[in-house]
Amino acid sequence: MNPLREAQLSLQTRRTFLSSVGQFSLGAIALHAMQADAFGAPSANDNPLAPRKPHFKAKAKRVIYLHMSGGPPNLDIFDHKPELVKRNAENCPDSFLKGRTFAFTTGVPKLMGSPRTFKQYGKGGLWMSDAVPNFHKIADDVTLVKAMHTDQFNHAPAELLLFTGHNRQGRPSLGSWATYGLGTENQDLPGFVTMISNGVQPSGGQGCWGSGFIPSVYQGVQCRSKGDPVLFANDPPGMTRDLRRATLDALNSLNQRQQDELGHAETVTRIAQYELAFRMQASVPEVMDISKEKPATLEAYGAQPGQASFANNCLLARRLVEKGVRFVHLFDWGWDFHGTNPKEDIRGGLTAKMAATDKPVMALINDLKERGLLEDTLVVWGGEFGRTPFREGRTSKGDVLGRDHYPDCFSVMMAGGGVKGGFQFGETDEMGFAGVKDKVHVHDLQATIMHLLGFDHERLTYRFQGRDYRLTDVHGHVVKQILA
Amino acid sequence: MACGLSAEDIRFNRDIRPILSENCFYCHGQDPKHREAGLRLDVRDEAIKAHDGVIAVVPGKPEQSEMLKRLLSHDADEQMPPPKSNRKVTPAQIELIRRWIAQGAAYEKHWAFVPPEKSPAPKVADKSWSREPFDHFVLAKLEAEKLKPSPEAKPSAWLRRASFDLTGLPPTPAEIAAFEADVGQRGDLAYMTAAQRLLGSPRFGERLAQDWLDVARYADTHGFNNDSARSMWRWRDWVIESFNHNAPFSQFITEQLAGDLLPNPTDAQRLATAFNRNHVINSEGGIIDEEYRVEYVADRVRTTSTALLGLTMECARCHDHKYDPIGEKDYYRMFAFFNNVLEYGEDGRIANAVPLLVTPTPEQIKRRREMDERLKAIDIALRAWPESVSIPADLRTRLIAEDAKLLPKTPKPAKPTEARLLAKDADVDPKRGTTLSVWFKAKTASPDAPIISALDRSGNPAAVSYGGGRELRLVGDELEWAASQRYPAYATIVRTVGAKIRPGNWHQVAVRIQGSENASTIALFVDGEEVPTQIRHDGVSGAPAKRDWLLGADGKAKPFDGEVSGFRTYPSVLKPAQIRHAYWLQSADKLTPEQRVAADRSIARRHTGRLQALQAERDTLWTERLAFVRTLPTTMVMEEMPTPRQAYVLNRGSYDALGEKVDAGVPEQLIAPWPADAPKNRLGLARWFLQPQHPLTARVVVNRFWAQLFGVGLVKSVEDFGTQGEWPSHPEVLDTLARDFVDGGWNVKGFFKSVVLSSTYRQTSDASPELYARDPENRLLARGPRVRLTSEQIRDQALAVSGLLAEKIGGPSVRPYQPESLYKGIVVDAPYPSTTWELGKGDEIYRRSLYTFWKRTVPHPAMLTFDSPDREFCSARRSRTNTPLQALVLWNETGYLESSRKLGERMLKEGGADDTSRATFAFRLATGRAPRAAETEVLTRTYAKLRADFAARPDDAAKLIKVGVSVPDPALSAVELAAAGGVANMILTLDETITKN
Repeated sequence: MNPLREAQLSLQTRRTFLSSVGQFSLGAIALHAMQADAFGAPSANDNPLAPRKPHFKAKAKRVIYLHMSGGPPNLDIFDHKPELVKRNAENCPDSFLKGRTFAFTTGVPKLMGSPRTFKQYGKGGLWMSDAVPNFHKIADDVTLVKAMHTDQFNHAPAELLLFTGHNRQGRPSLGSWATYGLGTENQDLPGFVTMISNGVQPSGGQGCWGSGFIPSVYQGVQCRSKGDPVLFANDPPGMTRDLRRATLDALNSLNQRQQDELGHAETVTRIAQYELAFRMQASVPEVMDISKEKPATLEAYGAQPGQASFANNCLLARRLVEKGVRFVHLFDWGWDFHGTNPKEDIRGGLTAKMAATDKPVMALINDLKERGLLEDTLVVWGGEFGRTPFREGRTSKGDVLGRDHYPDCFSVMMAGGGVKGGFQFGETDEMGFAGVKDKVHVHDLQATIMHLLGFDHERLTYRFQGRDYRLTDVHGHVVKQILA
Repeated sequence: MACGLSAEDIRFNRDIRPILSENCFYCHGQDPKHREAGLRLDVRDEAIKAHDGVIAVVPGKPEQSEMLKRLLSHDADEQMPPPKSNRKVTPAQIELIRRWIAQGAAYEKHWAFVPPEKSPAPKVADKSWSREPFDHFVLAKLEAEKLKPSPEAKPSAWLRRASFDLTGLPPTPAEIAAFEADVGQRGDLAYMTAAQRLLGSPRFGERLAQDWLDVARYADTHGFNNDSARSMWRWRDWVIESFNHNAPFSQFITEQLAGDLLPNPTDAQRLATAFNRNHVINSEGGIIDEEYRVEYVADRVRTTSTALLGLTMECARCHDHKYDPIGEKDYYRMFAFFNNVLEYGEDGRIANAVPLLVTPTPEQIKRRREMDERLKAIDIALRAWPESVSIPADLRTRLIAEDAKLLPKTPKPAKPTEARLLAKDADVDPKRGTTLSVWFKAKTASPDAPIISALDRSGNPAAVSYGGGRELRLVGDELEWAASQRYPAYATIVRTVGAKIRPGNWHQVAVRIQGSENASTIALFVDGEEVPTQIRHDGVSGAPAKRDWLLGADGKAKPFDGEVSGFRTYPSVLKPAQIRHAYWLQSADKLTPEQRVAADRSIARRHTGRLQALQAERDTLWTERLAFVRTLPTTMVMEEMPTPRQAYVLNRGSYDALGEKVDAGVPEQLIAPWPADAPKNRLGLARWFLQPQHPLTARVVVNRFWAQLFGVGLVKSVEDFGTQGEWPSHPEVLDTLARDFVDGGWNVKGFFKSVVLSSTYRQTSDASPELYARDPENRLLARGPRVRLTSEQIRDQALAVSGLLAEKIGGPSVRPYQPESLYKGIVVDAPYPSTTWELGKGDEIYRRSLYTFWKRTVPHPAMLTFDSPDREFCSARRSRTNTPLQALVLWNETGYLESSRKLGERMLKEGGADDTSRATFAFRLATGRAPRAAETEVLTRTYAKLRADFAARPDDAAKLIKVGVSVPDPALSAVELAAAGGVANMILTLDETITKN
């Protein structure tokens, strides 16, 4: 019997068994089966990545999360504040500073209105600055969530809070929760893929795509444009595919004999996993090779084969989701606009950074749309926090204009997968210091993403140390207003 | 009563509590803030009380009990648990509850909070099976389940299993053969001897350490954003040594929790306390110090409670525990024990965070002792000769002339623009080094005052550049040097030991800085002689800000009460002789007559008389010794503040929301009483954990040990013994083992010996598909353990069978092969330690995996793939997954490929002349058994196929055998070696090979 088939059968048998002892919904059964893992049971004979149904019908089947590491300056991109411009260079009012701590600013900083030009775009009249000319063109496809807020104002804890629901390492990440809940469609590829551009990992480290205390099979697999596309996927020099096949056949037959004689269920799974590995060795390089994309497509994204650019990663994200990958998480470095050097200037620096960003994002959304994937693929673009309405303390005497970290207000852009198009949600006050209407906490964003994937965020849990943990900790409300 | 349960026999703890805990306690438990309808069901008195005329549980009368009514209801408003709660009670469970109420609704204290007691041996039909007392209970349960134990495993299978469990490595074929022969002759005695041999191996400590390092969240980096290197490996070695010496587990725990508080603690006992400093530490600029300091204390509570109580108290950090009767206040009382360390939230950017301890290895201690003995001998010899007190005039003239040449020119001192300005722009040349010297005279004794300072203490201490610069302070009769980027998180602070500064006397101090300004590069000289120093803080992560040197301190600080003169900076690293001469030369008008005599003597001794050579040897040795001591490894340890910090309940766990004041304490009512006369500190806490009647500690520990052997604990939830945890599969086995463990003096080796020799453990893991289907996790123990090896064991085995393994206990962590791309772009591109992975030198690549450098944010990928935890937090249990990525590691990772080729080399050299014997040789090494005929057939056929294939592509064969740094034996044909390596890789990748059977 095909070993994979056999492994699946054994899973089904187990499910039938479970349903007969009083588990009612399929989702609950899958979760129950997985909770068995919680205590280290040798339940590896279930395929933990088999596709599963969520709690209810999902609007989004997959997610592409575009994370801008460092905290993009929301006040220079989406959050238009004419009053702040009017009061530019005034001392920051004491009421905003009292009892607060900022990462790199002490004393009384100067207010800084955005030097950028803002206009409204699309049928929803979405405010956008001249920093993002290509976002103007997709204004009708996106929802801007403009009164986002978080609890953390340093990179690592803020990224961890955003992606794991908790400001310290050790909890499962958003993508691992999604694959834990849903499995994945294509067993020849990892279910949860991460890629990094501009050469720097996020401050939160691998915890941003780690699996915490849920089985490590749900952690994100980092794919790379250079070297092994997935670590250790390339055969060593001198090893051919045919020879790998031949030795794998021999290996399978040895493992199979062992299984025939001793009946260890886990051996069956091992055989199946080795076969998957063999197929993955072919499927991963193939999906990671963008050289066969049409020149027009490469041009639209601004992608160039062989680079580790954000543009390439956006194109790869589309290729991956198209092949059935559940969650693609891109991390792009270089958004920490303190103003310590010209690249971190909210004028030229931001223009340059955005030039490498807004075009591929637009291309991705258009591409997904053309392929009929956007309606059930959720795309999210944003950072881990926002930036202050005043100039950063350290750099305030220089020529470069920068802003400090700011947790109270930031913007996130979402598209496809069940969210409205041409819609902006939430408002901050006239100076951009606080959300005043329809505030969305990062836990709410998480709850909403899980909702779009078909999960009640309070019910997708994992038992660890006697507690049912969930992505949203003990918080989170689905933002119903942005749902299409 | 312990076994042979009748159908009628309902036990609250086993049958009812899990149902209530899972479905009811969340809203009707002990957390008052979350309690619905004022009803609690976790306490009998409350459950049987009328609430508005309704009684949840009416003992003996299920039909009148509201609880049952609600459980059976289909009305969405009535139904319990509420439909939207994601909780469900099955009809079978409802029936259990009905019968329990009918029988009187008796409650029991949660089993794990009742001290373990031994039960009398149960009656069993098979009188001959059991070897160890606990075997009886295993057998009784099997008989009750109408099952027979599995037959005994073959001796070779037992030896392989026991070798992995006790040493982490497989047995050699020779060991297997010898054991089989011994079993043939001496039967059970042979098992005893083998177990003793394995327990006596130094590998035992390495094996046991692996799991404890997970619990203790040991790592070689600090974690978080910067994730730079720390030095905690001396503690890791202490753990290995403790297991190897079979230190009683009670001592093992006491020293780790409170070694520093023991009477006259030894350095080793203080080193042990590093256990509580293994937590992550954040050095990201701009964080709130107190927020993270609180996190570290919370981490200690979490680790200690998981490790020893099998409970996470973490839930009670923000609110009363929902399931276990642990309140918020209980949490913060435990917190208070660990709250008294003089530490910072932001620290550890460059090296260890404070407090730290110099922790030389035994070899280093020996070397230091040898140096000290030699110094002592020289001093005796020097003292034996009368010294010349004065210096002849001609010598004086000559030395002065020489000194003028000897000392480099110093830059002209700045014109003083204000009285306190000593020099403009204090700076250190990181390439050439800098020596700074100054004379001072303190008017009065001072506990702590700046002498000269270029350190900016203006502004907000929370600011990122606060306290940047350099400073020299007088602290009592010692001197302290600080170089700081941000004080004190990113600062080097060293203090003299034995400077003997006296008020009223002039003293010269010279600070010699070589390179980076880390502690190991700073030497302090007082009155011309180098003085030993103690590292107080070692974390400057770049050049401190350039500022003017001022007399005394900046700003409003109290000025130095005394005089300062002769401030000089030399743009080079002065030699000790130069510094000594400078002192002597500059001292003319400053010294007391006694000091003058001493200075002249010191110079005379070095330039005249018979003892010149001996003195020269002493000078060299002294310099060497101090330099040696400066490079000794440090370890972060626990150190109690003189006055404990006041602890508070922190509302919702937030560092700045101080609630009620609390003192240190434990949940006495719930778990165990505080031992009379125990101090209310960590030492008392250790005594509390280790009191013989403690219900949890021993159970939790032996259960974890059991899980190491069997793959699953007797209590499956090894990290949760609370009410949400699992009922033990064999309560009597757990209690027997726990009782024996405590009563036998917490004897770790004794525990492992008794289990590996037991009949339970000695069963074969081969079993019928029916048994595997009936009991996939082996909770009934009707067969022996079969578990995939850990990441460490899989790699160590490959190294061992290929002959590459370099065995050496302890030492700094090492860097084996790792993909080059892995550290590309990790976080900030700053030159912090551990942002690069330099492949280890020589044997370092082949050390046991226990010693692989553990970088928290990027652990070794092959280890992660095989389910090593990330060591961010205490982890008492590893998941065991089976994924395609594991195959890719075994096939393609450089280390496994090199091991395969080396095993291939051994096949060719040691495996006999033909393919069959060579394949058999490798197979036996990896699995501990000879292949069966059918297996041999597959192996030899594939061998031939590989040979033919590589023969057609000899260049490819040559490429393949070059993987790894070891050089293939040139005497062997590349084709033969590549083919044998291919067979070896297949064997190392077999399911059986990577499994403990």
